[in-house]
Amino acid sequence: MFVNIIRSTGSRNIAAIVGSFLATVALTISITLLWPFGNLAEQVLAGGTFFFIFWASVFYWAILAQDGLKAWIRILILLVPALTIDIISLAT
Amino acid sequence: MKQHTHKRLYDTHSWVGIISGILLFIVTFSGIPALFEHEVGYWQYPAFGEIPTDRSFDLEHTIATANDIGFQYDKLTIQLPDDINNHIMLSHFSDESEFYTLYLKTGSYEEVKSSPSALGQILTHLHTDLYLPRPFGRYLVGLAGMAMLLAIIAGIFIHVKWRKEFVMLRPKRSWRLLLTDQHKLLGLWSLPFTLILAFTGTILGLLGIISPILALAAFDGDVQKATDTILGPSAEITGEPAPIYSLNELWVKARSDLSDKEIKLIEIEGAGDKGGLIKFSAHHQKHLSNIETVTYSTATGETIHEGSFIGKGPFHRIFAAVTPLHYVLFGSVWLKICYALAALGACGLIVTGNMLWLERRGHGMEHLLSKLTLGICGGLVVATCALFPVSQLLYVFKLGEEHHHFEEWILWSTWGITLFMPFLWKNGFQLSHWMLRISAALLLSTLLVDGLVNGRWLWLTSGWNFYIQAGLIFFAMLLVYLDIKMPDEKKEKFATRAAAIQVEVAD
Repeated sequence: MFVNIIRSTGSRNIAAIVGSFLATVALTISITLLWPFGNLAEQVLAGGTFFFIFWASVFYWAILAQDGLKAWIRILILLVPALTIDIISLAT
Repeated sequence: MKQHTHKRLYDTHSWVGIISGILLFIVTFSGIPALFEHEVGYWQYPAFGEIPTDRSFDLEHTIATANDIGFQYDKLTIQLPDDINNHIMLSHFSDESEFYTLYLKTGSYEEVKSSPSALGQILTHLHTDLYLPRPFGRYLVGLAGMAMLLAIIAGIFIHVKWRKEFVMLRPKRSWRLLLTDQHKLLGLWSLPFTLILAFTGTILGLLGIISPILALAAFDGDVQKATDTILGPSAEITGEPAPIYSLNELWVKARSDLSDKEIKLIEIEGAGDKGGLIKFSAHHQKHLSNIETVTYSTATGETIHEGSFIGKGPFHRIFAAVTPLHYVLFGSVWLKICYALAALGACGLIVTGNMLWLERRGHGMEHLLSKLTLGICGGLVVATCALFPVSQLLYVFKLGEEHHHFEEWILWSTWGITLFMPFLWKNGFQLSHWMLRISAALLLSTLLVDGLVNGRWLWLTSGWNFYIQAGLIFFAMLLVYLDIKMPDEKKEKFATRAAAIQVEVAD
């Protein structure tokens, strides 16, 4: 039952809308923290630009997955490493 | 591209368009007058049309005159006269979001009564905030921009035969094919502009959402600190009085520090306090940037912050270009006209997209989406067109402050009435024809009202007044053209079997 819900089209759409936004936020923080070029303001503005590029790209990567489960896996592939980088970097 | 990928992109394009289409139409259509806000502002109030011979500017004289008139605020903004706005405009935003303005004649520094009309501002507010409380309206507009961006991206990938589609219009075939061709034609021809408008609009709309995210990464979540670092600091009022440094000297210094740039705005906060600041903002004349700033202390005259977005890296350049690209703060008026035409194309794109979606599913006028598309989108066109003559006609009644309230009332009541029309009038084609005719008649009546009330007959006007009137005529003619070209009823795939065979043979 649970697997069916996760695999459903609705789940895939939620992954594309909600999941992509969450992954984008985590990725934006990572890129802002790690951006190697320019000063602090340039880092922030790089993050601001990439936010929209990430959002659109992750949205389509999730929506083009075969089913909901694969869409969520794609989201997690991005979200988990990005969150790890964010937590480690912000904690230190 | 694999067939299932193409289908998925096609479905996403359709659903994103259907969900956000009507909202996008409101934002896009109201964006056209918003693009010409200053020009419309100049036209809407005849008193703004007086062109002073002396265009010199004295900062201290400006502030002293404002103080004498009673326009005395701790924080105020001065907008300098330019090609469109002839007067010096002082403004103050109160903490309660009240907006106060004072206009002074350039050269003579006499007070010019503020415009009782708010035509341009009403339509701009609809474009930027949808008349919703801040910041929610702005976010909704940003999300609509994001939806537009997503629909454009999918649209680019699904239309693989774009060379053919660039010129393909089959008006004699079925209604559905006509809609398909129009949708693709409008999408392809307006693509560069819609892409720029969607991307920059999304950034402008959602900046409030991404700022805390960016501040969390680089400034421990302190949004104010991030803003100050990028755009320059705000005044910190200490309560300790200090003499004001010569503002005219700072004006001369700013013009030297911001050489190659055109100073547009001066912000003064806390003058007379030890922590008071004055910030000069300029547009770069060679690059796309409207946020070139220099900030001085009003107490000591020392430079506190110099903010230039040029020569600092690619992402500074991208952000500096966002507002100039969205509001066309560069190039000539012809570029603005191209943007306006592209926005009109995008409006057509949205409407044909909705109609196509309904047509492919076999829905007619009875479908709710059909009624809402006609009521909301068509209603906005009628309401906007009604606002122009009414705005001028209201001058006859000398309503003062009530003038702009009546304008708002006209916009909302006209829109409200037309919104319900599709629920009462069953024939959508007939109703569309009437909406187009009424809108065109309202626009043309504006010229008559403008002539009768203000003596601004088309053959007597010049400059921006003439351009606005010419623009109204052009838009009215476009609506008349659409009225003529739009069928009276849905054409079936082929009118007769003979016609079907004829088309097949021709193909």
